[in-house]
Amino acid sequence: MATVQISEAEKLYVVHGVRDDLRVDGRGCEDYRHTEIETDVVSNTDGSAKVTLGHTNVLVGIKAEIGKPKPMLPDEGYLEFFVDCSANATPEFEGRGGEGLGIELSNTLYKVFSNKQSVDLKSLCISPGEHCWVLYVDVLLLQCDGNLFDAISVAIKAALFNTKIPKVRIAEEEDGGKEIELSDDPYDCVRVNVENVPCIVTLCKIGHRHVVDATLQEKACSVASLLISVTHKGLVTCVRKLGGGSLDPESIFEMTETGKRVGKALHAPLMELLQKEESLGSKRQKVGFLG
Amino acid sequence: MPPVDRRRIRGPDESHSPYHFVTEESMKCLASGDRRVDVSQRGPLDLRPIFARCGLISQAKGSAYIEAGNSKIICSVYGPRETERKDETDMKSGRLVTDMRFAPFACRKRGAWVQGNEEKDLSQGLLESLRPGVCLHKYPRSQIDVCVMVLESDGPALSHAVTCASLALADAGIEMYDLVLGCTVRHTGTTQLLDPTFAEVQDDQSGASVDSQGTVTLSLMPNMNQVSGLQSDGVMEQESIKAAVQACIEGCFKLYPAIQHTILKTVRKKAPPPES
Repeated sequence: MATVQISEAEKLYVVHGVRDDLRVDGRGCEDYRHTEIETDVVSNTDGSAKVTLGHTNVLVGIKAEIGKPKPMLPDEGYLEFFVDCSANATPEFEGRGGEGLGIELSNTLYKVFSNKQSVDLKSLCISPGEHCWVLYVDVLLLQCDGNLFDAISVAIKAALFNTKIPKVRIAEEEDGGKEIELSDDPYDCVRVNVENVPCIVTLCKIGHRHVVDATLQEKACSVASLLISVTHKGLVTCVRKLGGGSLDPESIFEMTETGKRVGKALHAPLMELLQKEESLGSKRQKVGFLG
Repeated sequence: MPPVDRRRIRGPDESHSPYHFVTEESMKCLASGDRRVDVSQRGPLDLRPIFARCGLISQAKGSAYIEAGNSKIICSVYGPRETERKDETDMKSGRLVTDMRFAPFACRKRGAWVQGNEEKDLSQGLLESLRPGVCLHKYPRSQIDVCVMVLESDGPALSHAVTCASLALADAGIEMYDLVLGCTVRHTGTTQLLDPTFAEVQDDQSGASVDSQGTVTLSLMPNMNQVSGLQSDGVMEQESIKAAVQACIEGCFKLYPAIQHTILKTVRKKAPPPES
């Protein structure tokens, strides 16, 4: 992971500050940095979103393609995740340098979405056993300043909300073959229900307290972090401990409680924002990448 | 696209196991009364009996083999040896490299020889679990290789792999703060099953709409009471996770005497007490 070198004195400063619920940039332990979300930024995709969390910049593009369903689950579609750490973020990611981090991020995303409730996979089925929608979720890391998981999960939720899957019909031909017919109207599409899509909250243990949305500097002072993905109902889909240190069982319980509380509170404002953005329609001023 | 292995002859891509075409009835996780459905007739919070031995692989510095029910896992440790790359962090402390692989015949579905994403994920989980336990600052500029091979997997393999790797590290004489033991709990609705088998983990595919079901794998250092690894799958309430973590911790404590006994036996064999 892109890391910063930090001196012992700086570490002490950060740890003492966190102890008094005051972080380097003035936030409390459970506050997020300034977040900007914009959807529909890439026109070639079926859904896209860009999220800026502090200095972390993440772009998600979703493309829906027709594929063959998995043999064990013939009446469901599926999602494929791929995270690319662009060399724009830091020179460490040049060539294959970012591959390790990218694979770790995609594996965690698979774990977070690997349950029946997050995305309704049955709605992605076209004809059981033969055709289904495969949603390729491609995540691009443009800038890296800590807390990648949170930014990626918010971006995926926004991009899924924005995804418009074309309506298809399976038509039987005279000779018995099946043909896929696309509706003529380009605005005739199916939306994905993102109500149950979870959001990831990463909590870093610094000293005896834990912080939400750690910057790279704060991450360098922590020994271990806990990643928890929470749905809007407060259900937890994935918990992972990250980092090379160990955690006390009591800390784990405290961190999961904080994570659940913070994660649950993320969903309502996010959905409100996404719906407001959508309701602006074509009158919306697009900010794009240099706003 | 997954990496393609050109050295080994694989069957056609479209081949399937005949078991896919058998409709399995959804198995209740607790058969009658309190006992579990698998052969061992153990209670829901009982571990499978463990067989553990060290020192199987003569070439390796340390090695261990664990059998728990039908799960068979072997681990070998090489090192400490010189690192290939020398960057600044390596000057102060050593590096632990973990590699976890499944034999192609280990699971129900035939796996590929080339390491897939899941194996990389498990190797990362193994590294995170073992890292806090090993005194890496005592091995600067060195690297310790831990290679785990799952020969047969009946239930989540990561927890047994962590235990096996700790045993192998102890056999290799690598200095550690404490043994790291792993345990898995399968949580379905209100029942908790410690050390689940493959069938017990799979019972959610039947579509029985249980709101809260998941698997929690935990790695614990018993003497220091520190959790070094935690992973969970599935959808659960936060209280269920808390209960599952507590059950895992108790499971690790139950496992500890057996592992300790194995190590003592190995030490006695390697360096028999002097005959007075």
